[in-house]
Amino acid sequence: MVIEIEDLEFRWQPGAPRVLAIEDLRVAQGERLFIKGPSGSGKSTLLSLISGVTTAATGSVRVLDQALERLGSIKRDHFRADHIGYIFQMFNLIPYLSVVDNVTLPCRFSARRRANALSRSRDLDTEARRLLRQLDMDHPDLHRRAVTTLSVGQQQRVAAARALMGAPELLIADEPTSALDADRRESFIQLLFDECRASGATLVFVSHDASLEPLFDRTLDLAAVNRAAPPALAGMGEG
Amino acid sequence: MAILSLAWKSLLNRRFTALLTLISIALSVTLLVGVERLRTEARASFASTLSGTDLIVGARSGPVQLLLYSVFRIGDATNNISWESYQDIAAHPKVDWTVPISLGDSHRGFRVLGTTGAYFEHYRYARDRRLVIDQGQRFEDLYDAVLGAEVAEKLGYQIGDAIIVAHGASDVSFARHDDKPFRVSGILARTGTPVDRTVHVSLEAIEAIHVDWQSGARIPGLSISAEQARAMDLTPKAITAFLVGLKSKIATFQVQRFINEYPEEPLSAILPGVALSQLWDLIGIAENALLIVSAFVVVVGLFGMLTALLTSLDERRREMAILRSVGARPGHVFALIMGEAGVLTLLGLVSGMALLYLSLILGQPIIESRFGIFIPLGGPTPYEWILLGAVLVAGVLVGSIPSYRAYRLSLADGLSVRI
Repeated sequence: MVIEIEDLEFRWQPGAPRVLAIEDLRVAQGERLFIKGPSGSGKSTLLSLISGVTTAATGSVRVLDQALERLGSIKRDHFRADHIGYIFQMFNLIPYLSVVDNVTLPCRFSARRRANALSRSRDLDTEARRLLRQLDMDHPDLHRRAVTTLSVGQQQRVAAARALMGAPELLIADEPTSALDADRRESFIQLLFDECRASGATLVFVSHDASLEPLFDRTLDLAAVNRAAPPALAGMGEG
Repeated sequence: MAILSLAWKSLLNRRFTALLTLISIALSVTLLVGVERLRTEARASFASTLSGTDLIVGARSGPVQLLLYSVFRIGDATNNISWESYQDIAAHPKVDWTVPISLGDSHRGFRVLGTTGAYFEHYRYARDRRLVIDQGQRFEDLYDAVLGAEVAEKLGYQIGDAIIVAHGASDVSFARHDDKPFRVSGILARTGTPVDRTVHVSLEAIEAIHVDWQSGARIPGLSISAEQARAMDLTPKAITAFLVGLKSKIATFQVQRFINEYPEEPLSAILPGVALSQLWDLIGIAENALLIVSAFVVVVGLFGMLTALLTSLDERRREMAILRSVGARPGHVFALIMGEAGVLTLLGLVSGMALLYLSLILGQPIIESRFGIFIPLGGPTPYEWILLGAVLVAGVLVGSIPSYRAYRLSLADGLSVRI
């Protein structure tokens, strides 16, 4: 199992109301999971817990058979650097780094991903360009341009290349397509699928856009799974 | 290393504000070290207003007073030294040379100093530099005068111009030696010392203009013309002070004691270097104030950096979340901001020093000719290194404020981006 969550309860402070309560959630290796849920259903909290930025006082979050709550915060940051690729909704890129430097960024923080990248290409820049080419970003002009001049779609593909750099086992995408046109959404997701398949990565994809649901192996309705969610939110599409 | 290269790229991306911050730090460093160097050299230059002279001798008084009237031409002597005593001490076996000084007259606010050719031979200033005649020559004729550079410049005198010497320090018409005008025979090069504000004539000339004077006024009914005076015995009866050079410096205290205990009349012999530094201690408070002010300018420069870094933090919260998502620890975020502050401070120090040396190279001849202060281009002194180190430490301390704030923000924000 890539992700195993058991009897999880999360509160911001002891005594505060529960934000997230999940009895059981498992994601298998290579699986492509679609998590849908409106704002306030606990999506960002769940992603913070899986990526090890926060931990819960009750229950267990295991990623790649490692119980994150048993690790110190520095170890969790290392764990994230080594094993997790992360794509934000938008503005994913460091404005003062070039396209290629943005893609190789995880290798500055993880020796493991650096070694993985170097086992595929002779140097990091070459591996970054290879990934960008896979994601239809192979025009050399694009690599030289300031990242702020790229279109939103191009920026998201650079972000995807960065998340895939060094072949992390788990890819987390937090509404990565919400800023894209409807016809670009599907092609972006297909590119993501292809790359995950090629590297054997597991994909956790969060969105409130239910139309993307059929593309995935499995769907998780967070509002239904999260026992802490206010009843009014359960079943709501948008938020 | 990885974080430092990120910090560098981030600064390059915001190069306009970074450059402004850098300039303000660099300028403040230039000011701080420049003031330090200038005051050190001003002190050294002051201490060598008179060099090469082992003792200054005058009527018995305090060292600072003797120094003030004999070297700085400020105030008056309490008493004179008789010519016999002067001759006696000048003949002491340990004495190498003497330069007699006779003060009391003035020309349009500038003191007139009667002396001999020995003055031009032995007077030294600023670490053994001699007086140089810029135009003309020393006094040859009885009524020749050699002007200091400032006298000639302020009053617009040329070689050959006639000048009238007045009795006493104030220039009033009834007390002028207008029957015996002087001719400008030479003008000295600028020294940056009180020599620039002095009119030099021979001892005999001082005697000549006073032959028909007594107790500060003309003797009624007696009038001796300039030409008549030439024929008279013009050996001075008294002088105001004299400078002494010894054959060996080891004898300094021995000769000083000999003069201080001179039985014929009460005299004082002082060591010019000691008296000059005593005087500097009196007037040197301003130099410390200047250094303190420039230290505050550095603090202002560093506060500029603090403002620039703090205001940038809010717009950089997304950047911090991205860094966290690729595995950066909050400590990395701290190091990123600290790296930027460190780079700015270090570059500020380096370019501030570069600017200082550039302005020293350009300003050195001007400062030397205007103020007589020679500022050497040597490397930083140990004290300057301490100042530079203190600026670096202050930069790191100031930088730790936004760095700690960024650390707290990235800890609180995690991967969520709030803008």
